[in-house]
Amino acid sequence: MTDYTLIGKRMPRVDSRAKVMGKARYTADFKLPGMLVGKILRSPHAHARILRIDTSRALALPGVKAVVTGADTEGVKWGVFAYTRDQQFIQTEKVRYIGDEVAGVAAVDEETALKALDLIHVEYEELPAVFDPMTAMTTDTELIHAEFPNNINIHVNIDTGSVDENFAKAYYIREDTFTAPEESYFHGEPYAVAARFDYDDCLEIWMPNGGPHMKSKPLSNAFKIPLHKVKVKKITIGGAFGGRSEICPADYICALLAKKTGHPVKIVFTREENTIATRQGHAMITTHKTGVDREGRVLARETTCYMDGGAYSSTGPIATSVPFLSMEQAYRMGSVRYNGYRIYTNKPIRGMIRVHGRGFACGLDTQLDMIAEHLGIDPVEMRLRNSRQPGEFTSTGSQVWSCAMDETIKKAAAAAKWQEKFGKLPPFHGIGIGTNSVQTGFPMGIRGGSQSFIKFNEDGEATVMSGVVDNGQGNENMLVQIAAEELGLLPEDIHLVSADTETTSSDPGSYSQVSTFVGGQAVKNAAANCRKKLFDVAAKILKTDPDKLTARNRMIYVTDDPEKSVSIKKTVRVALLNFTSVNAEGGYWPKVDMKREWVSNPYGQMCEAFSFGTTIIEVKVDPDTGRVTVLNAVACQDVGKALNPLVLEGQFEGSVAMGGQGGMLTEYHDWREGRCLNPTMLEYKVPLACDMPEITGIIVESVDPRGPYGAKEAGMSIAMSAAQAYAGAVSNAIGVYMDSFPLTPDKIVAAILEKEQANK
Amino acid sequence: MRLPQFTYHSPDTLEGVLALLDEYRDQAGVLAGGTDLLVRMKHRLTLPKVLVSLKHLDTLSYIKETSGMLCIGAKTPIIDVIRSDKVHQQAPALGQACERIGAVSIQHFRGTMGGNILQDNRCIHYNQSQFHRSGRQPCHKDGGKICYARDEADRCNSTCQSDGATALTALDAQLTLNSTRGERRVALDAFYTTDGIHPFDMQPDELLTQIDIPVVPGAVSTYERLSFRSAIDYPIVCAGVRLVPDPDDSGCIGSARIVVGAMGRSPLFLAQVSRSLAGVTFDDTAALEKAGKDAMNAAAAFAAHNAGAELAYRQAMVEKMVARALTQAAARPSARKAR
Amino acid sequence: MQTIDITLTINEQTHTLAVKPNDTLLEVVRDYLDLTGSKEGCGEGVCGSCTVLLDGHPVRACLTLALEADGSAVTTVEGLADEDTLSPLQQSFIDHGAVQCGFCTPGMLMSATALLKEQPSPDRKAVRKALSGNICRCTGYAKIVDAVEHAARPEPGCPDCHTKDTGENHD
Repeated sequence: MTDYTLIGKRMPRVDSRAKVMGKARYTADFKLPGMLVGKILRSPHAHARILRIDTSRALALPGVKAVVTGADTEGVKWGVFAYTRDQQFIQTEKVRYIGDEVAGVAAVDEETALKALDLIHVEYEELPAVFDPMTAMTTDTELIHAEFPNNINIHVNIDTGSVDENFAKAYYIREDTFTAPEESYFHGEPYAVAARFDYDDCLEIWMPNGGPHMKSKPLSNAFKIPLHKVKVKKITIGGAFGGRSEICPADYICALLAKKTGHPVKIVFTREENTIATRQGHAMITTHKTGVDREGRVLARETTCYMDGGAYSSTGPIATSVPFLSMEQAYRMGSVRYNGYRIYTNKPIRGMIRVHGRGFACGLDTQLDMIAEHLGIDPVEMRLRNSRQPGEFTSTGSQVWSCAMDETIKKAAAAAKWQEKFGKLPPFHGIGIGTNSVQTGFPMGIRGGSQSFIKFNEDGEATVMSGVVDNGQGNENMLVQIAAEELGLLPEDIHLVSADTETTSSDPGSYSQVSTFVGGQAVKNAAANCRKKLFDVAAKILKTDPDKLTARNRMIYVTDDPEKSVSIKKTVRVALLNFTSVNAEGGYWPKVDMKREWVSNPYGQMCEAFSFGTTIIEVKVDPDTGRVTVLNAVACQDVGKALNPLVLEGQFEGSVAMGGQGGMLTEYHDWREGRCLNPTMLEYKVPLACDMPEITGIIVESVDPRGPYGAKEAGMSIAMSAAQAYAGAVSNAIGVYMDSFPLTPDKIVAAILEKEQANK
Repeated sequence: MRLPQFTYHSPDTLEGVLALLDEYRDQAGVLAGGTDLLVRMKHRLTLPKVLVSLKHLDTLSYIKETSGMLCIGAKTPIIDVIRSDKVHQQAPALGQACERIGAVSIQHFRGTMGGNILQDNRCIHYNQSQFHRSGRQPCHKDGGKICYARDEADRCNSTCQSDGATALTALDAQLTLNSTRGERRVALDAFYTTDGIHPFDMQPDELLTQIDIPVVPGAVSTYERLSFRSAIDYPIVCAGVRLVPDPDDSGCIGSARIVVGAMGRSPLFLAQVSRSLAGVTFDDTAALEKAGKDAMNAAAAFAAHNAGAELAYRQAMVEKMVARALTQAAARPSARKAR
Repeated sequence: MQTIDITLTINEQTHTLAVKPNDTLLEVVRDYLDLTGSKEGCGEGVCGSCTVLLDGHPVRACLTLALEADGSAVTTVEGLADEDTLSPLQQSFIDHGAVQCGFCTPGMLMSATALLKEQPSPDRKAVRKALSGNICRCTGYAKIVDAVEHAARPEPGCPDCHTKDTGENHD
């Protein structure tokens, strides 16, 4: 095994010092001279035609510097794909959910801006609204988007063939339907954006983002200005979890206000706005039909999923696919047919989220447990019989080069003492297992690759430029760790210029779990190129061959004769004196099938690597109140290679909290007529320190042949498998297979009572 | 979130506070810890023109025992109640209730005992932002004619979710209210109007100054509550009970007070169910459990769908909370002694 | 609108400020004094990101009027370190990987600082309880609890209690 200096070590994060000192600046903390306060007027109606907007009284209010409406825009519609461009940044004709953007205001202070919003008069004609996806498909009321019949936004159809033939061969077939409502991110930081136009008419803009380059292009389109004139700047980000990847109408409105006033403008969302006017997770109704042989091996599966997409497309085609893809990666399915429908409703917009498809994945695993019980097979064994194996192809044709799924199942089962516990626990105690797989990257066309540039400073320290953004998961540390490892420097010698569209090359962003695999690999390649240049210079100084050199701890030395050495600093200075560059670039482009498309051609190599995770949860249920106490949590993931176990464990632990404890026990949105009843942290129950169990994290390393040092996605397959394990554990504890998630106390009590009555 | 505008006074004396309340009446808000009032102001649910701060009234912060009463100053921080041995000995239900209020960093000393009792009634449809409440008809409590918590309701169905008030009603507490007109005392269970819009029988010039809890020899009390989270959550159902042993030392319950909270417009003192426990032995588990069921039947009708959990579930949980509180109270050492 | 002069001792520095009645302590430290370490995560006293110490006790700065704090001593996250020397708790947060996105970190540090002052060696249960008013969405709290538990009393078996020299030292 390679002896690394930093890779694989528990390295405290380089960004944490500024954060513990309160010095890290987030967008809301950011100030510029003359900065105005921006606020957004949002629709109070779920579906209404805009008849007239009168901004004159607002404009007349002293302290108001600008009011913008749809009439001030270039009329460009946003959509992630050419075929999903359905969202104006400020609505002109109609509003489609409570929260839709109608106007923006910039004023000298918050009080004035809020007062101005009250003074904007909008005349609406209310239209019939639909809040339920199944009704939305059949209603004869006005379509939410005229160009999408039956309010069906996206239909993903995947069919590997032979599905019906294989069902005919099955020994046992089950069909079950599972449901789960919407969930939200509840990032620590509410969304905020600050913008100004500089002396050169360039837009400078700061906001939490999942990838700065994903923000700059739509802004350049919306303003019809060249891409280089949009400078998305780096700022500390308080969490993303998939919800900050796309452009947000507030970005555009803030920039438009800055343009109109000639002043910097900042918009800071309330917690409620962060919930209803960014993105949410989809509500889903999923039916799985599964046919197995006598040994429990899946021969055929047919899955139909109806997803409540809310008012606009967002990442629709991706969102409609990922829940299925995660499961087809995790399990061999024989032959499979999938129909995913994303349906418009008059509710907030749904996008990508960390646990994408809790009803989908938990349903699939619950059904596996049902089949296992019917056949008398232990759930762990059931998973081992169907688990993905290295070298195989997924149903949609992605080859899986590295895979230690079985190892994660076995190690988690051993640590959780599965054999001693399953079926042997006292009443209302239960244990459950979930397994999942997450893709490291999506096909992203021209933005799929990342490029990095590294320059040496004359003091022997290096500046690394990379488009990779850190949302809080530790990406900056990952880049520093890789650059320091490759260059033989200490972490404090590496200086990052990152997540800035002016100075860094295009990058896919932290979106799609690809930062380490693609962005990290780009830095690794750039650093290797840099090191090669250094070695050429050092070899001359040390009178040896470049390939006989090693760089470590700020020194370059002859590998077989470490006494012969020269400092990196001196090497850099010698290079500069000899008219030699020691700067270098490097890039990485994942080898995916560029012909693969979410709707038109969902087959081919999806991405280069897949992570595999298993979580086992043990619970105790209070049968009187339905309250669940988690007694033990084991999270085990094949991460390829653990670059920094300290950071990885943190990802596992946060994943159990969000996916399992919150996602499966307490978190869901409650509605009345399209109005979200729990948009704030008081009523939306994010887990607290006193609610969380102790968590055992186990890292499995399959060392991916293509990942940097063998690394691939880390954490997300725990978030998803944790949800599945929580569902399994509660079902096991109460002896009822639950089909409606999350498993709130009321549902648990009802299930227990129903079972008792049935037994009487 | 920005607070609306108001003028601010922080008188040095009780008289100063009362004079201001007399002057401004409906337009005044009393600021103690602010954990309830300021949130409602931020949501523009209440817009006092004047805030009268009790900041300098440290004389209203105390816990003392005098002539058979445990007396708590209205401005006493929740944390002092939690840490008071007197409270844990003489009124354990109150200590248990206070431990469940908010979270440590709210309790520590911003939240006050008086503020907890006087926290306004809540409803998931009412305690929302101004934006949320726009674009639909205002509800009764918001100045309109609709109830979103119960269809066709002709009045407000907001809920009293105060932990402290539920425990204190079970403890048969009395309140002392002062105004420039003088002082009056009112039993807590008579303090409520059954009007969700104005839940307290209190004049705008009155200030809550003291809470008195009768110290009854041999009495045992407990508080049980259910919420989704272990902290920063209001109860969705709660119960406070006090059991007083029969003076004849017969091992029987002499009198009981069963109070159900977070179900109605006020803490619900269930007199009939309480009476049914007189003469029952402390170890009569069946009777205690039956009282739980009776409490559920008596209290269920008061609840509306307004606390973020399924109504039927909250109703069913009344039985469990009351039965648990009673069982726990009956098992307390002083109750065991009475057996 | 009326402004009132108040005196606040913030991080041991005394300021006289003319504030409006409806200014919260959070707005004053962030907007008047540019101490933006304290965050507004919800504005209604739930998330705990705005927690500061008021005369040594943790409070929600978003629900404390600046006027109510007049004459008090306030400690914000910026006041925890002694110039460049971090408090043991801050260092422990770094060493144990307790910081991810960092938005809740200042509030967590303030609640934990108050706890450690009262209870120098809290067990995990006490730590979890003391932090129950601070919401973190990234960490699942595990490493935060480790960091607080080990801040005053390094744990012999803990792999992260002795890593202080590998990270951030500038010589």
